[in-house]
Amino acid sequence: MKSPVFKAAAALLVGAALLAPAAEAQQPKHGGTLRFVMKYEPPTLSALNNTSTPTTSAKVWDGLVTYDADLKPLPMLATSWSLSPDGLQYTFSLREGVTFHDGKPFTSADVAFSILRLKAGHPRGRGTFANVTEVKTPDAKTAVIVLSKPSPYLMVALGPSESPIVPKHVFESFDVATPPGPPQHIGTGPFVLKEWVRGSHAVLDRNPNYWDKPKPYLDRVIVRFMPDAAARAAAFEAGDLDLGGLAPVPLSDMERYKNHPRLAVDTRSFAYTGAQNQIFFNLDTPILKEKKVREAIAHALDLQAIVDTVFYGYAKVSPSPISVALSTWYDPAVQPRKFDVNIANKLLDEAGHPRAANGMRFPLRLLFNPFIDARLAEFVRQSLRRVGIDATTQNLEFGAYVKGVYTDRAFDLTIESLTNVFDPTVGVQRGYWSKNFRVGLPFSNSAHYENPEVDRLLEAAAVEVDPAKRKELFSQFQRIVHADVPSVDLVSPLEVIIANKKIRNYARGAEGLGDNFSDVHFVD
Amino acid sequence: MTTATERVPEAMPESDGAWRSLRAFLRNPSAVIASLFLVFVTLVAIAAPLIYPEDPLSMVTRPFLWPGQNPQFPLGSDTLGRDVAAGLVWGSRISLIIGIAAMALGVTIGIVVGAAAGYFGGRIDDALVRLVEIFQTTPSFLMLIVLVAIAEPRVESITVGIALVTWPTIARLVRAEFRSLREKDFVTAARGLGYGHLRIIFIEILPNALPPIIVTSSVIVASAILMESALAFMGLGDPNRISWGSMIGAGRETLRTAWYLTAVPGVAIVLTVLALNMIGDALNDALNPRLSSER
Repeated sequence: MKSPVFKAAAALLVGAALLAPAAEAQQPKHGGTLRFVMKYEPPTLSALNNTSTPTTSAKVWDGLVTYDADLKPLPMLATSWSLSPDGLQYTFSLREGVTFHDGKPFTSADVAFSILRLKAGHPRGRGTFANVTEVKTPDAKTAVIVLSKPSPYLMVALGPSESPIVPKHVFESFDVATPPGPPQHIGTGPFVLKEWVRGSHAVLDRNPNYWDKPKPYLDRVIVRFMPDAAARAAAFEAGDLDLGGLAPVPLSDMERYKNHPRLAVDTRSFAYTGAQNQIFFNLDTPILKEKKVREAIAHALDLQAIVDTVFYGYAKVSPSPISVALSTWYDPAVQPRKFDVNIANKLLDEAGHPRAANGMRFPLRLLFNPFIDARLAEFVRQSLRRVGIDATTQNLEFGAYVKGVYTDRAFDLTIESLTNVFDPTVGVQRGYWSKNFRVGLPFSNSAHYENPEVDRLLEAAAVEVDPAKRKELFSQFQRIVHADVPSVDLVSPLEVIIANKKIRNYARGAEGLGDNFSDVHFVD
Repeated sequence: MTTATERVPEAMPESDGAWRSLRAFLRNPSAVIASLFLVFVTLVAIAAPLIYPEDPLSMVTRPFLWPGQNPQFPLGSDTLGRDVAAGLVWGSRISLIIGIAAMALGVTIGIVVGAAAGYFGGRIDDALVRLVEIFQTTPSFLMLIVLVAIAEPRVESITVGIALVTWPTIARLVRAEFRSLREKDFVTAARGLGYGHLRIIFIEILPNALPPIIVTSSVIVASAILMESALAFMGLGDPNRISWGSMIGAGRETLRTAWYLTAVPGVAIVLTVLALNMIGDALNDALNPRLSSER
């Protein structure tokens, strides 16, 4: 290690390492076609009234702002912004010289229209923008969002993957709830929809008039829709795909991609999604009204084993109602209940449920969101059977599942993937707020959990402008919910990305693959 | 068939014919091997709770043990650490139960419909033939998927679903047999003696129509096992019971890294279905004297 030759070599290496990114930053290569894969074909590429398309929307529509990896807002269509001291008015200065794909100029009227349209038609926008009373447009380049109550989460809800800014002149006459079709795919974004072949792919071409010159670097993005995991894996191996998210190949196969000469595995987690899998108890089931039974179930589950076997390591233990992926708000004091079959058995015995002759104590119906790997349900079922709970699973397709849990309430336990998105008020409150126990409303308070103190904390946090005070409110919330056990929080799955090693900057900020791809380029 | 059926039934030398058929069957070595294999599978299925008393779905060891790696788990373990050998043994139960029960139900429906259509003819025949055609013109596996998806996948619903898509084959076969048999002398004789329709159908004609039904039944058991496997492979099996198809479906994701998870239950299905088809062929030879004498 101490030979002068070695030192020289080391110095040279360090130098090369310093030079290389600098050279790259100077001259990103123009051109190339990016082939991006989605698992399911969405009804529209737009996130205007649809939550299944966060990865395509930003390519066509910009947001007011975008975010760095720590959720710090960065300018996009808004160049600067300010909040009034009472927390009730956000003023945005808008970018000059921006035009839509059809050549019409972008103005504050489009911002006002889009925010109100998101409030009316976006599944989460109804909550996020619930306090918006009006959007003032004092001039063409200024928009003021006026609120009835402070909404501290608003500033993180304005990314292009969540709140796209659409042209008023196109959408004014367009139905609020209908998914926008190709004629409505007109935005200010870096790519223009050229064609959409249903059941196969969509072609997005470079927007030559994009405001952020010289971006975008790519000539074209092809979005392919491939529902079969094996087909996606084969296409990646054949070199037909460059990029895909949400674990596009089976996790069991991931090990092979780690050493792939052409492909890379990216396991960063992104603050905008807040992935979380949890079990909700139906507290209307008499046997589950007993806290000892719910605690016993929590003790019967080995969360680390779930990460290791079901997710092959591609998840993190996430024991609190606020996902560990939301590092700003997750309270590390909340830790999983100890995995111990003896404790679980003891609690169930104490609760007055002895084992019958066949070794079982009582039956429970276990449902699971079909977007979750069925192996997680099998793992939970077998863990419960081990402590004498005769759990049976049902394979339901998505519609039947939503109806079974949220309308018919024909379940005792359900494994949900209630993602926390970018803020607990938007993503977590819906599952625990007693006023959100609404039969028939998907992804609401399925447990029928009612705790006045939790309601108070959630409602206070929703309007608390001071981040430190807000964090304390959410910490108290997490501790109470963890003690009450209306749910057992399990894991936060990693949103594994497979990417061609030659592409750069496909997920710059908190939005992950919801990035607008304007900075994506190939290197040699 | 010709010699037996042209007599008045009371005079039928049934035992003679049965013995001859059995002898013919036993002279066919592949039939004997196939039968022995099926007997073995059946015994294993019956003895499953004795061989592996524990729930075959329970996670008993570390995941991805290869066959032979640990003598305690001779066929290895799957992605969640479940014993593949236990799954194979318990899976034979579901496969055989569904195969045999679906066949029995389908054959019963088929015989009732086919016999009524063939025996009575006329409008009843027209109506029942239309019904059979409705079922036969719908792709049977698609219909099965729809039926099971609506009824929620459980062993009972899968069995009924398979029976509902297989009965038309039997119905057409039975109808054809009845149409040719109803004009025979022994049937005319039975009518002349004043027997009722039910007695003529079930006591006089049906026994004479049985040989082709028996042959087809063995093939139907095989195809029912395949259909259940295909359903389970697609995730439409009973999630709380292990079957060979569900083992293949679960192992499919790891086909490249742990091929034994699909190969082991796959071989079990292939051998069982092959055995049933060989028995079907042998039965066909044995029960059809004309064919066997031609050889």
